[in-house]
Amino acid sequence: MSTFVYMTRCDGCGHCVDICPSDIMHIDPKIRRAVNIEPNFCWECYSCVKACPQNAIDARGYADFAPMGHKVRVLREEEKGTISWRITFRNGTEKNFVSPITTKPWGKHIHKVADAEEPDQAAHESQLLFNEPDYLKIGDNREAELINEDGLPSRAKDTFKQGVYY
Amino acid sequence: MPTFVNINPFVELSNTVPTIALQGFLIAMAALTIGGVLLDIKHKKNVKYFFDNAKKAKEKAKTNVPTGKKAGIIVKTVAHDVLISGEFCGWKRQVAHLLGMYGTIIFWGASAVLVFKYATPTSVTPVIITNLWHLGMAMTCLGAYWFWFFLRVDVAAEGHKWYRVVFTDLFVLSLVITSTFGLLWSFFQAAGSAWSNLFLVLFVISNIVLFGGVYWSKFAHMFYKPGAAIQKHLAEADGSRDSLPEPADAPEQFGLGIKREAPRHY
Amino acid sequence: MADHKTVYEDCDILIVGGGMAGTGATFESRYWGRDMNIVCVEKANIDRSGAVAQGLYAINCYMGTRWNENQPEDHVRYARNDLMGMVREDLALDMARHVDSCVHMFEEWGLPLMKNKEGRYQREGKWQIMIHGESYKPIVAEAAKKSASKIYNRVMITHLLKDESKDNRCGGAVGFNMRTGDFHVFRAKATIICAGGASHIFKPRAVGEGMGRTWYAPWSNGSCYALPICSRCKNDSNGKQNCFM
Repeated sequence: MSTFVYMTRCDGCGHCVDICPSDIMHIDPKIRRAVNIEPNFCWECYSCVKACPQNAIDARGYADFAPMGHKVRVLREEEKGTISWRITFRNGTEKNFVSPITTKPWGKHIHKVADAEEPDQAAHESQLLFNEPDYLKIGDNREAELINEDGLPSRAKDTFKQGVYY
Repeated sequence: MPTFVNINPFVELSNTVPTIALQGFLIAMAALTIGGVLLDIKHKKNVKYFFDNAKKAKEKAKTNVPTGKKAGIIVKTVAHDVLISGEFCGWKRQVAHLLGMYGTIIFWGASAVLVFKYATPTSVTPVIITNLWHLGMAMTCLGAYWFWFFLRVDVAAEGHKWYRVVFTDLFVLSLVITSTFGLLWSFFQAAGSAWSNLFLVLFVISNIVLFGGVYWSKFAHMFYKPGAAIQKHLAEADGSRDSLPEPADAPEQFGLGIKREAPRHY
Repeated sequence: MADHKTVYEDCDILIVGGGMAGTGATFESRYWGRDMNIVCVEKANIDRSGAVAQGLYAINCYMGTRWNENQPEDHVRYARNDLMGMVREDLALDMARHVDSCVHMFEEWGLPLMKNKEGRYQREGKWQIMIHGESYKPIVAEAAKKSASKIYNRVMITHLLKDESKDNRCGGAVGFNMRTGDFHVFRAKATIICAGGASHIFKPRAVGEGMGRTWYAPWSNGSCYALPICSRCKNDSNGKQNCFM
């Protein structure tokens, strides 16, 4: 079900308002705390839950499948590059998961395309993207007929699987 | 330094208003505060919720935190979350809150000293107390106006105009207006202007709104928040953590705490 | 009563929508248009916008041509089979032959891909590879932030503009700021529409508390169809995803 806010932890910073892709996290005018104004349009994407610096937002799973009395809470630590989940069942069983969210420091390995060599007219007219053909990595592939004249991977017509497909 | 900050306006005020009335007004404001907070607690049941929360945390606790460690956590919470407003997630909000918080404390403290010790027609007020009184109001104005025009989430994240006033603004607005009128009253009275009477009346009214509105406004947060912060940190220590996962123990492998630029307000 | 203003922006390339498609287009545009004014406009916040806001634990269509696992033509045949013949084969082929290089590039940017014992990407079925994709969108959004001249968050584009001097040409777009209500006018030499598809067209089959819940994002409410249709495009939009629920 949709997200909800624990008032005692929320300090009205507005990070959830900034991040919500559905534009449904807003500030309650009576208490200046966050509130989900349209639960029907909540997709439970957990963006607000992860963005809240005070961990004040939570969500409950749908009653159709989620066991009663459950709790699912998440901690996203951007500097460490991890996301941790804790799933608690009402009998006390707990499942903990930790996953990486990035393998490199944020933004450091993005190609500086504006500094790369300028594409010439032939490059503009070709079918290749900026990082092709290198990033296709089909240099590993010995079979030369798999590359068509555009420089992109392809399959020879006579190797098509036979049969009727609509 | 303008001279009005050295003059205690209560001295001249006590020529027309008896000292006992001034002191009675302060006591009345304090009584309004206490009454408002008690009514608020009864209505919102927040103290009950606080103790229920403590009970839930105890049930889910993974370790037993010894009393000495608990005391240490409480001291750390007071030092970090309360005294330097460390709970805020952005430096601007933190600084604005510190200005407003300490400004108000100094202002109220100095008010009490001035009214209870130096509010007779013949009082000789130590300049430092008068300076502190004005300083407190000035700090409050600085922090609260900064908050009002720029940092308030309605303005910063929701895109509302600064002049949009809603119910929740009762506390901050009445506090900053009280401080503003106090400064103006002192200024005009030191200058011998008749405008001082207007600002005195406005100062009195805004004080009544501020303290009388405790039941409806966010005033009482200054009493609740420290308790909530202590509870949160104790829950972190005993492992219950409000069912949140433990921080990942993976080392800072992606660049020793590279903090991405936070998604901007619109 | 509130003072709304009109904000003008003149740009060379306007990208409508800041989802995976829009951020990718922004990044790629920067390579081809070196010092051009490239503007990306998104109705939410580019960090978590679009259908991949929450993250994704798989990339659903990876060829694996580097290991000879699949070829683009195989994918076209698969898509045609799945959609009962209602496909643009040329567009499906074009997408399929470029997807591998994009995935390899994401890996270099920091997207964690799961590997199997042989060192290849862990597959779950013929087409899907598994990733730790909680921050799939933020990683790609970083690339767009570094490539765009300016990114407009919380601005919803509602109409495309026709270029008055050139026939049959789009001249930009207009929209509203979701926070302040200001009217934004973007005049562009080229416009790429990367807005979202349309969910909630048909009532989903979900029942119970999940009734009305869609597999696709509820905030994809048809802009990428509506914008060209409303500007009376004869040749309908290209490359839209088409799913039967």
